[in-house]
Amino acid sequence: MAPSDEELVEQFQQGDSSAFDALVRRWDRKVQGAIYRLVGPSEDVRDLSQETLLKAYRGLRTFKKEARFSSWLYQIALNVCRDRMRRGRGRSYVSFDELTDGGESPGEAGRSALELIESRDLSRQVAAAVAALPMEQREVIVLKEYQGLTFVEIAEALDVPLSTVKTRLYRGLGQLRQQLIRQGIRGSAPVPAPTS
Amino acid sequence: MDCDAFRDEMMDLLYGEAPPAVAQRLEAHEAACPGCREELASYRRLRRGLAAWRVPAELEARARPRAVARPYLAAAAALLLLVGGGLVLRGSEVRYEAGRFAFRLGRGSGPAEVQTELAAQEARHRQEMQGLRLSLASSRRGDDQLLRTVQEMIAQSEARQAGLFTAGLERLEERTEARRQYDLAQVGVGLSYLDGKAGLQAARTTELMGHVLQASQKR
Ligand SMILES: [Zn+2]
Repeated sequence: MAPSDEELVEQFQQGDSSAFDALVRRWDRKVQGAIYRLVGPSEDVRDLSQETLLKAYRGLRTFKKEARFSSWLYQIALNVCRDRMRRGRGRSYVSFDELTDGGESPGEAGRSALELIESRDLSRQVAAAVAALPMEQREVIVLKEYQGLTFVEIAEALDVPLSTVKTRLYRGLGQLRQQLIRQGIRGSAPVPAPTS
Repeated sequence: MDCDAFRDEMMDLLYGEAPPAVAQRLEAHEAACPGCREELASYRRLRRGLAAWRVPAELEARARPRAVARPYLAAAAALLLLVGGGLVLRGSEVRYEAGRFAFRLGRGSGPAEVQTELAAQEARHRQEMQGLRLSLASSRRGDDQLLRTVQEMIAQSEARQAGLFTAGLERLEERTEARRQYDLAQVGVGLSYLDGKAGLQAARTTELMGHVLQASQKR
């Protein structure tokens, strides 16, 4: 059986540096996916995930095992993303609009051209809707919906109470629902939009 | 359970995180209340819609780094710490690729922009040095001689930095930045030694930083 993250951390802290390689292999894609969804489709995604891994490497020796490794790693990634946005160096996330390729899903072969266009269009619209959320809500949506973290893990990563996580999620989903209905996405119809 | 309570806990149900007893109560309300049933159903539809957002395949494909060369990783981590993650002039970067680190120094594109960048750089530099001082103060492994050397390097680098900054724009050449990077790298070598690195590793770090300097002067 593969060692758990926590076991690998333990090994690393006892001097087996190769344990870090295993952690990187396990997490780099996920981290990169999260960063992509947080900052948008710019060249910076790769740099930011590199920065995240380097900071993780740097901090792992003193990492305290009270939190899960995954929460801790996402926390670093979130901070790296926030930092980048504060400095305003990343391209605006509205640039999801410029995205010409919504990404290949694994099962694309065999689908009609129309379905393909529709799915790419939907991907783009969802991306734009998530990008329009305030950062706080976007973070929770990305960690929950796309990274599959538990509420507890998200609370750890964000260092906020559990109830705050759920409130942000609820608000974020509510806003997305409204946004996507406005764009006529079938998936979210036919709930009438609130009149506010 | 009333509708307010249902809404309060709906997220747990939506994501399958409600404990069985709670889930049971929520589902009982869902079955009995058309309004809440539709509300929950709309979120379920929303989630199916959200699943359409894919990370581009090309991003996924290039995500996987090759073998990690740890000595270099340590060196770059030290450097990264020192430069605060944002190499300074536009486009500068340290990146890890194919098992090794590469360093590239960017160019500012116009004088005004350079000046702004320089001011920001100066502020960051000061901050970084301050952080470095703090981390040295709390350093566990006390090699007094080395500590003093590193502190000296910091002081010299700061003085140089301040001098260059006040001297103004005409003295801002890329070599300035290279010099600063080299200073930082030197300090980084000291730091990684303090971190308990073996001599060999420190030597490798020095070698790497030599490349950094060369690379940055070439451009
Ligand atoms: Zn109800």
